[in-house]
Amino acid sequence: MNRIVSKVKNSLASKVIVSTVLLSLGVVWLTGSALYSQLSDGVRQVNLETSLAEARSSFFNAQYQFLLVDGANSSIITRTVQEVVISSTQVSLSQDRKSLFLSRFGPAFDNGPDIAAIDYTTSTDDLDVSSFPSDLRQRVKTSDLVEYEYAKVKFKNREDANVLIAGRRIAIPDSGNYEMYLVYSLTNQNTTLTLIKNSLFLTGLALLFLIGLITWLVTRQVVKPVREAARIAHQFTDGDFSQRMKVESSDELATLGTAFNEMALSLESQISRLENLSRVQQRFVSDVSHELRTPLTTLRMASEVIYGQRQSFDPNIARSSELLVAQLDRFERLLEDLLEVSRFDAEVAVLEPVEFDLVQLIERCIDDVLANEDSHIISINIDHETEQAMISADLRRVERIMRNLLSNALDHAEGKPIDVTIVSTRTEVAVGVRDHGTGIESSALSRVFDRFWRADPSRARVRGGTGLGLSIALEDARLHNGELDAWGSPGFGAHFVLTLPRIAGQQIGGRPIRPQPIDYPQTN
Amino acid sequence: MTLVMVVDDDQDLAEMLGIVLTGAGIDVDLVSRGDEVMEVFKNNPPDLVLLDVMLPGLDGIEVCKLIRAESMVPIIMLSAKGDTHDVVLGLEAGADDYMVKPFRHASELVARIRTRLRRTNADVSGLLTIGDLAIDVNAHEVSRGGRKIALTRLEFDLLVALAKEPGRVFSRDALLGEVWGYRHSTDTRLVNVHVQRLRSKVEHNPENPEIVMTVRGVGYKAGVMGGS
Repeated sequence: MNRIVSKVKNSLASKVIVSTVLLSLGVVWLTGSALYSQLSDGVRQVNLETSLAEARSSFFNAQYQFLLVDGANSSIITRTVQEVVISSTQVSLSQDRKSLFLSRFGPAFDNGPDIAAIDYTTSTDDLDVSSFPSDLRQRVKTSDLVEYEYAKVKFKNREDANVLIAGRRIAIPDSGNYEMYLVYSLTNQNTTLTLIKNSLFLTGLALLFLIGLITWLVTRQVVKPVREAARIAHQFTDGDFSQRMKVESSDELATLGTAFNEMALSLESQISRLENLSRVQQRFVSDVSHELRTPLTTLRMASEVIYGQRQSFDPNIARSSELLVAQLDRFERLLEDLLEVSRFDAEVAVLEPVEFDLVQLIERCIDDVLANEDSHIISINIDHETEQAMISADLRRVERIMRNLLSNALDHAEGKPIDVTIVSTRTEVAVGVRDHGTGIESSALSRVFDRFWRADPSRARVRGGTGLGLSIALEDARLHNGELDAWGSPGFGAHFVLTLPRIAGQQIGGRPIRPQPIDYPQTN
Repeated sequence: MTLVMVVDDDQDLAEMLGIVLTGAGIDVDLVSRGDEVMEVFKNNPPDLVLLDVMLPGLDGIEVCKLIRAESMVPIIMLSAKGDTHDVVLGLEAGADDYMVKPFRHASELVARIRTRLRRTNADVSGLLTIGDLAIDVNAHEVSRGGRKIALTRLEFDLLVALAKEPGRVFSRDALLGEVWGYRHSTDTRLVNVHVQRLRSKVEHNPENPEIVMTVRGVGYKAGVMGGS
């Protein structure tokens, strides 16, 4: 049921068909009922008139017969009564069954009642007289006219039935006043009415079916191009811009098709233009970087040769050679980072996952970072729950993330120890790097991963970072489907948490290490 | 005196390389065009070739293939491209090692050159065998089933490093240290490519190796099928 409902909801054609059929059902129902009530009224009316006319004639005939035998002997009257009963209940082919009931209720004539006279009370068809409506009997007894009423009467030997009862007062000579009733069965009338009802019902059904069919055909004409457009739009989403709609007429749908095709064409050209632009841009950055490398190599070697001889120079030149070497280093790092950023921007960065032990890698990174650190003496404490954390990830990138996080922490630690936490779960590993330095304003947290962003522009760069480190680290983490979170608070230092899936590319389920450190006082 | 052929189209860089190498006591032969390499190579065979990838006349990769067809001399590629694709192409063309410009230190380049010129397995001598493969370390000869196999010096060193401790599993990092002289490097592609090249020469079926076995997730070892 739910499936049908959802199918109807999801298909325009079904929606239109269902609503059209439902509305038509209402209309057909109303017209059908009106038609039926008119027809049945007419049938009943005609039937009533025929029956009453026939009843009048029967009553008249009976009255006449009895008048003729007035004064005759009782055997003749008895025979007359029998004749009246037979003639009144005689049924022609087209007529319904008829029953008769005769009941004495008083003297016939004013010239003295003769209660002892023969009582001709009789009934055909085993009528159960008690079921006659009493007010009808009252009316018949007092009135001189033909009285009638529809009623349900009982029969002793067959089922009860709805009938038309017509009655009149009749006088039988030497006997008294009688109520004479003719009971008309309504079987024929009911059969006719049932027939009408059934035909109306079937016609209505056929009509509904036809309306549904027509609606379906018409809707299909409209919906088909719409569906086609939807299908093509889906293919656009998948990157296939070659599809076009067929335009075969000049109606509104054709306008839709034409507009749709124009949009596709424009989209296609826009996208290919942008793709081209980005390819040219990426190519240019990459070319520039590569072209810069050869002279940079020469420069580095030359500076090294000069630097190697610095003892024989006077102090200013010696210092200059040191600066030259240091700045060339920085220049080269910047170049590497720029090239990497351009790879991320062009979305050509490729993940090359291998299996390795993250704990071992981090220990090595810490050794390297500390070895290069000559001006600061900072201890880095590692706190990890497991001896080993095997992950499948891009070794070069993870190493770069760790180096970036560690040197960033060293830059801001202000000589205080740095804590590194490693937590490994079944699906992910997390590394937290916490310094206890100046910290970051919460308003600046969203910007720490921005390129070339510096927490405090007035502060001197201590280690000559490129300003791209954290930005690249974030991109590296995301390339693994991992995440890099930052937390900071002035006076409480900063906390960077790297979360990586155990197998690069899978989803991370949560954060084994929360960015907000446990030792930070809760404000709420 | 050792002779190194430097092939680079950048005159200044070539000159600078010349200064550095001469300073380290190495003779230098400078060539600036790819299509001139083979002529110089034949007239004055060097002990090692420093080869740039992008060259006028003939591409460095092609030059590398030409040299390899003639000689087992060590080749170190110089490349401004660090991309996997170019590195692997150079190694597959027969280069023993590669360095990406700009080098971290000129001394690193000199160290690499010296590693390639030196016998890396000086402590090993005599005859080593892996199955039916015989290695005469002193004569620098390898034969399998009586058939001599020509190996580059690096391939020879790689084979000897594995064969001198049969059954020991070498990680890629260990091999990088042992054969290439790297202290630590994350680039294990060097090992992979050279193991492939070595296999193509010594194995009957490189797809199903019997001499240089892969130990999944760890590295390589020397061995015969079913052996320890």
